[in-house]
Amino acid sequence: MKSFPTQEIGSLPKFGWRTKPFRLMALTDDDLEAAREWGDRLQVDGRADLYRLLSKRYSFSDEEKKTIVDFSLLYAIRMCETAGQGIAKEPGLDLVWSGEQARTEMYETPVSNIDGFEFVGRVRSFDNKYWRMASIRSAPKYKENYHLEELLFTEKQAERKLKIPVTDAITIMAWSDNNYYTGKWANKRGLPPAKRSFSARREFTLELAKIIRKVIRELIEKGVEEVQIDIPAATQYQSEDDIKLVTESFNETTKGLDATFSVHSCFPPNTGYGILFPHLLEMKKCERFSLEYGNRDTFERGLDAKSRVGFEDLKLFKEYGYKKQLGMGVIHIHTDTLPSVEVVRDRILYSAKVTDLPPENLYVNPDCGLRTRRPEIAQKMLDLVVGGAELARRKSG
Amino acid sequence: MELTEYQVSLTGLHARNEKTIQATQDWERSRINEVTLKENFDKDCDSLVELQKHVGAEYITDGQITLAWQDLFRPISSGFEGLEPGPMVRWFNTNTFFYTPIVKGAISSDGKVLSRIIERRFVDHGSSLKIILPDPLTFSELAEDRHYGNKEKLQFAYADAIRGELRTLSSLGVKYVQFSAPSLVYRLKQKPFSRAGLKQLGEAVRNAVKGVSLKSGFYPFFGDASPYLPELFDVIPTDDVGVDLTQTDDSSLPATSKGVIAGIVDSRTTYLEDVEMLAARVEDVLERTGTKTLTLAPSADLRYIPRVSADEKLELLGRLRAKVRKGSGSPKAKASARRGAK
Repeated sequence: MKSFPTQEIGSLPKFGWRTKPFRLMALTDDDLEAAREWGDRLQVDGRADLYRLLSKRYSFSDEEKKTIVDFSLLYAIRMCETAGQGIAKEPGLDLVWSGEQARTEMYETPVSNIDGFEFVGRVRSFDNKYWRMASIRSAPKYKENYHLEELLFTEKQAERKLKIPVTDAITIMAWSDNNYYTGKWANKRGLPPAKRSFSARREFTLELAKIIRKVIRELIEKGVEEVQIDIPAATQYQSEDDIKLVTESFNETTKGLDATFSVHSCFPPNTGYGILFPHLLEMKKCERFSLEYGNRDTFERGLDAKSRVGFEDLKLFKEYGYKKQLGMGVIHIHTDTLPSVEVVRDRILYSAKVTDLPPENLYVNPDCGLRTRRPEIAQKMLDLVVGGAELARRKSG
Repeated sequence: MELTEYQVSLTGLHARNEKTIQATQDWERSRINEVTLKENFDKDCDSLVELQKHVGAEYITDGQITLAWQDLFRPISSGFEGLEPGPMVRWFNTNTFFYTPIVKGAISSDGKVLSRIIERRFVDHGSSLKIILPDPLTFSELAEDRHYGNKEKLQFAYADAIRGELRTLSSLGVKYVQFSAPSLVYRLKQKPFSRAGLKQLGEAVRNAVKGVSLKSGFYPFFGDASPYLPELFDVIPTDDVGVDLTQTDDSSLPATSKGVIAGIVDSRTTYLEDVEMLAARVEDVLERTGTKTLTLAPSADLRYIPRVSADEKLELLGRLRAKVRKGSGSPKAKASARRGAK
C-alpha cells in the first residue's frame, strides 16, 4: 500500500467558458485563450472540437452546452490526474473526481433536484461570498438522481480510482431555510423553544437522509466504489443534540449500502473539532475522516507543536483510539498565499507523528474544495499536495 | 401607574439586498467602480432605515452591511492598533464566517475607527442611531491572544479601546450601543461561566461605557441564558439586557427594573410566527419581568436569511408591537405594569 496517498476534496474552479454559456454571456478572447492554454497544458483528448465549438462565443444550444460541460469534466479529471507534474516523480492524485463541474455547486444541485424546495434569495457566507438559500416548503421528495450523468461520464474518462462527493442531509438542512418543519413544530406546546427547533431540524434531516440514501444506492448500482459524504455543516454546532444528529444522519444515509465511505468536514468554530467526539466515531461505515487543518497552521517549517498549531486537533483521534484512515487538509483554500512544499511535507509528517497511524492510512488533500480559487492557484495547490506527499514519503522512508 | 413602553430594534448585522449583493460581486470582478458600489450600499441602507422608521423603531441601525462590516469584528481587527484579522473561522452555529482577531500587541485606537464607518447622514437627519459591537467576553473568547496572555486583561484592554470609540460616537450624535454577547450563552459541552466570570464581564462592560453618554444594551444570543438568570440583569451594567427567547424558556425570566431586549422572532428561518402567539408570549415575558421597557427584537442578526425575508421579520416585529400596545390595557398587562412599578 502506498504511503500518504493523495486526494482532492471535490470541487475545482470553473472556467469562464464553462459558466458563461449558462448565464447567456458571450465568451471573450480571454475565455477562448484559457480553453486553449489549459487544454494544451492538460493534453485533453479531443480539445480541438471544444475550441471549434467555443469559437461560436454565444447562443449555444442545449446539446452544445452539454458538450461544454463534458469537456469541463475532462479538464478537471486531467487536472487531478496530472497534479504535481514537473515537481513530483509520480504525478497525479491517487483518488480523483471530475471537480463537480457538472454541478452548480454542492448545495444548489441537490436542492434543485429534490421536490419541496424553493429558492428564496442569497445569503452572505463571508465577505462578498453568498449562497442561494432554498426554503423547504413541504416534505422533501426524491425527484431524480442528480449525480448519475456526471458519474457515468467520469467513470468512462478517468484512469485513476474514483471517489464521488455527495452532499449529506445535515448540510442541506443547515444551509436551507427550515420553513416547513419550523411551522410544523411551532405549535407543539410543552416543549422548550430550543427543543422545538431541534425537533424541526431532526425531522427535516432524517427525511433528507432517506432521499440521499436512494441517490447513493443508484450510484453504487452503476459502479461507484467510494463515496465521500460531504458534511461541512457537521461543524455548525447548534446544540449537543445536533452533534449526535450528524452521526445519526450519516448512519441513516449509509444504512444497507455497500461501498467505501469517507466523511469530509471543515471550518469549525474556534472550539475546533473536539466537540464532535466521541459521536463522530460512531459513524459505523466511515473509513476516513478528511478534515481541514491548513487554514489554522503557520507557514513555518518544523515538526513541533508551535509550528504545526493548526494540526493540534488531530491528537483527538489518537486519544480516542482511532485506527482507521484520515485525510489531512494541508492547504488553506481561501487564500492565494501558498505554503512551500517543505511546509506541506512537515504538515504531513507532523500528522503522522501525532496520530500514530501508519502512513498508508493518512491521505493528503487540500482543506476543502477549490472552487473559489483561480485555476492557476488550484493547480498549484494540487501540485503542493502531490509534491508534499512525495517529500514526506522520502523523509519517512 | 406607568405602562410598559414597547420598542422594536434590530440586534445585529442585516442582510444585504439582492442589488447590493450583485453590486459587490460586480465590483469584485471590476465591472463597476467603488462609487457605483457605494451608491448601492447607500440606497440599501436608506431603505432599511426607512423600514425601521416605518415599524416604529426608536433606535435605528444602518444595518452594518457595508464592506467595513464584513463581520462584526472586522472594523475593530482592521482598524485598532495591536490587532489584525487572522484565520477564517465559523461564526458559532451558522454558515457564516469571520476572520479571527489576532492580538499582536497592546490594543488601542485613535477613537475614530468606528465613527469613520458609521452612516452619519442618518444622525444628521435626526435618527437615533444605534451601533452594535462585540462584547468584551465574545472578543476575548474568539480572539487569538498573542500579547496579554490573560483573558481578563484582554477583556479590559478591549473595553478601554472601545470606550474611546463610544465617546466619539456619542459626540457625533449616536444614541445607543448594543454589546452582542453570543459567547456567554453558546456553551455546548462547556460549563456556563462562573458567577465570578460574569461579574468580571460586568466590570469590563462598565469600563467600556464609563463616562459615555449613550444608552446601552447587552444581548447574549445563540444560547440559553437561564444559567445566568437572574444575575445577568444585576451584574451587567447596561440599561437593557436581552434574552434569546428562541433558546431560553420564559419561565427562567426574573423580575427586573431594567429594560429587556426580547429576542422573540426567530432570525434563523423565514417562517413567520403567528402574531397572536407572539403577543401571548410577550405578555408572559412582561408578566415575569415587569419591565418598563420591552424591546421586541429578532433572536440574532437578520443576515442569516435573505433580505426580503429579513425585512418581513422586521415588519412582523412592527405588527407585534402594534398588537401588544393595543393590548396593553388588558388586565394581565396592567398587572405586570403595576408589579414593575413597585
